Amino acid sequence: MTAIIETHQLTKSYGRHRGIVEVDLEVREGEAFGFLGPNGAGKTTMIRTLLNHLRPTSGRASIFGIDTTADPVAIHRRLGYLPGEFVLYDKLTGGQTIDYFAALRGGVDRAYQADLIARLDVDPSRKFKEYSKGNKQKIGLIVALQHRPELLLLDEPTSGLDPLVQQTFYDVIREAKAEGRTIFMSSHILSEVEKTCDRVAIIRDGRLARVDRVGALRDLAHHQVELRFSGTVPAAEFSALPGVSDVVAEDGTLRMRVNGPITPIVHAAARHEVIDFVSREPTLEETFLAEYGHGAGTPAVESAR
Amino acid sequence: MTAHVEPIAPAPRISAWSRIYGFGSIFGKTLRDSRRAAIVTGGIIGLILLAVMAGVASQFGTIEARQEIKALVEAVPPILQGLAGKPVNVETLGGYASYKYGAFFPLVTGLWSILALSGTLAAETRRGSMDILAAGTRPRRRIAIEKLAGHVTVVVLAMAFVALMTAIAGSAFPVLPGDEVSPVAAVAYAGWLGLMALVAGAVAFALAPFLGRGAAVGIAGSVMFASFILNGYQLAIPELAPFANLGWFGWTSDHLPLAGQYDWPSLGVVAIVALGGFVIGIEAFARRDLGVTSTIRTPAIPTSLRGIGGPVGRATSELLPTGLSWGIGLGLFGLVLASSTGSFIEQFSKSTQLLQALEGVFPDVDFLSTGGFLQLMFIEFGLILSGLAAATLVGVWASDETSGRLEMLLATPLARARWLVSGAVGVLVAIAVVVGLAAVGIAVGGGTAGGDLATPMLGTTALGLYAAAMAGIGFAVGGVVRSGLAAPAVAIVTIVTWLVDFLAPTLGLPDAIHQLALSSHLGQPMVGVWDPAGLIACVVLAVGGVAVGAWGFSRRDLRG
Repeated sequence: MTAIIETHQLTKSYGRHRGIVEVDLEVREGEAFGFLGPNGAGKTTMIRTLLNHLRPTSGRASIFGIDTTADPVAIHRRLGYLPGEFVLYDKLTGGQTIDYFAALRGGVDRAYQADLIARLDVDPSRKFKEYSKGNKQKIGLIVALQHRPELLLLDEPTSGLDPLVQQTFYDVIREAKAEGRTIFMSSHILSEVEKTCDRVAIIRDGRLARVDRVGALRDLAHHQVELRFSGTVPAAEFSALPGVSDVVAEDGTLRMRVNGPITPIVHAAARHEVIDFVSREPTLEETFLAEYGHGAGTPAVESAR
Repeated sequence: MTAHVEPIAPAPRISAWSRIYGFGSIFGKTLRDSRRAAIVTGGIIGLILLAVMAGVASQFGTIEARQEIKALVEAVPPILQGLAGKPVNVETLGGYASYKYGAFFPLVTGLWSILALSGTLAAETRRGSMDILAAGTRPRRRIAIEKLAGHVTVVVLAMAFVALMTAIAGSAFPVLPGDEVSPVAAVAYAGWLGLMALVAGAVAFALAPFLGRGAAVGIAGSVMFASFILNGYQLAIPELAPFANLGWFGWTSDHLPLAGQYDWPSLGVVAIVALGGFVIGIEAFARRDLGVTSTIRTPAIPTSLRGIGGPVGRATSELLPTGLSWGIGLGLFGLVLASSTGSFIEQFSKSTQLLQALEGVFPDVDFLSTGGFLQLMFIEFGLILSGLAAATLVGVWASDETSGRLEMLLATPLARARWLVSGAVGVLVAIAVVVGLAAVGIAVGGGTAGGDLATPMLGTTALGLYAAAMAGIGFAVGGVVRSGLAAPAVAIVTIVTWLVDFLAPTLGLPDAIHQLALSSHLGQPMVGVWDPAGLIACVVLAVGGVAVGAWGFSRRDLRG
């Protein structure tokens, strides 16, 4: 498949402050790509650098095979963008705002535009300043989607949308993907990435920590195991097993994190009187948190008792 | 099951540096946020008073020259007197400064206060930060009081600087008996100026919780200007006299401390009214739903005028209201001046010594013609106003980036250079509107006085060229450095240019310094004398500024 976005050692720094550091990334045609990271990790900097809103400090990026600094207008002609935070013209109505961006782009399918307005349930006759945060976000989404771009760059796209409209948004994204368009989407909401994306990249402190398929990322992740004993908790025995870490013994219960197969745990448990055994596949969120070391050892455990 | 509640940890201590920097309290933060406006307003008024008093002392240093000023002021037609203060002791330094700027400066400080106090609560409520603030430990009433106290404090500080400059001028420049301005008079003048600001701001502060910021600014501004007009024009239009005392300009019209005349009780009335407005604003903010205002419906602008067909149309549509406002103001100014030309020429023709003094400052100008009079009276202020108009227009253009709109605009096929050039075209259209309305004002006003009107009307083009040059500087700064700096840069260059152009000949500074002022190279356009070098310089600055801005903007990061 053709690479739509390619970056090589892409770096952006703001004076002494870090933005993104030596990012190597490839997003292929027709895939939905999730870009995850906590606040300040560099997600927005990455997207703004791809748009040439920010000039790379070093390295290079290309979209559709065009260097982002060489001909950004040619790139912009083929993409749709929704920033994480944006302001538009207060005095224009939502409909006038959508029309203005349609005029800047040209070639907008009016029927599709009207369909988006109807599906996202926007009243286009109200002034932009009168809209709620969610309705402003809807206008931004329509502006980004209305010209059926080949590439969608979406920075936290469902921020402020109610659950019903979020579902509509996911439908629209799925349709775009089915039509072979490419989606690059940053998000904090991992369930959203799980629902919509094929691959995911995790960015930490400006550097790419991991890029993988959504499913593979989960497979590679740890299991959270909880054993409840009737007698003494044999913490030392389990700590010595391969792949076991973060062992916590508390009130007859042993909790641990297991990387790799859990067979050694099962064998060791069989040698003791075990009241309950819970092994849970982590959600992408826990995988994500594990990447950052935030509370990965104490997830909410749902027992299948 | 028992619940264990952790005791609330004491709030972290705020460092002395943070407190000084304005992060120790809402009051401190308000002071910090207001510092630029205070420095600009107080600084400009203080320095203008200093410069004017120095200039008058230097150029009109004899009793005879002062008597001729007095005679000239007395001959000013009532229609023009409305723009100036009450003519009391105008043959003295303080009296003249009070006459020339006494009525004008409160409009400047009042506008500052209106903009600040209408927005200090309403704007923060609108952008959502007030929700966070009001959800904290401070009651709403205290939030409002702290914010108000912050503004009152910066007004007091700015006026303290004005008092200091006035006192310095009043003790350093006197050349004739009566020229001295005592520290008490300086403080009394600055105090009045500050109160005039606060009472105007109080109206906006009281209305903003009910009507929102925009309507509060509009109503408070209208009340202030109505008070100014009613007071100033009651002599010219006797029908206005009964209404003159409905506003604070009328109440304090006898308080002229720089001219040696005091009316302290009138200041008390103004203070009480301001206090009433503050109390209403505080209570309304404390008791009403946060951010819920009544809407005043205005006629909708047709879609065809919204400029949604492309970037040039959009920029023009955004800029036109500002251009129209400046044009109407400049047009009215031109109308009033042009309509009083005849009376002035008659007075000038009787005052040979005054003519000689004026020629010392403005050589080669025939003041005994309509154009010559307008060259003296209109162009000087006209250039300042057109420069400041350029600053505000450039500020509107820059708002695309400073507000964050540009983030989405430049993700379309709109090239950076095209965006900047579209903005420049919009600014030029708005400047053309300003110049056109100024020319119409002169034509209408001059029509009653007769004489050659075509030449001064064409002369207003100089204002447009000058404004375009200043705008070019703004585009260059905005494009290369940061668009948020564009408007302040234009305002600063305009004011510095005026000071250099005015002070260099007045203070006998080397000609090379005077030559630095672009306005000194425009010739006498109102009498049909044009200086090609200045015109070329204006065009080069306008076009070159846009080109430099476009070049620089395509090479820098977009502000996020």
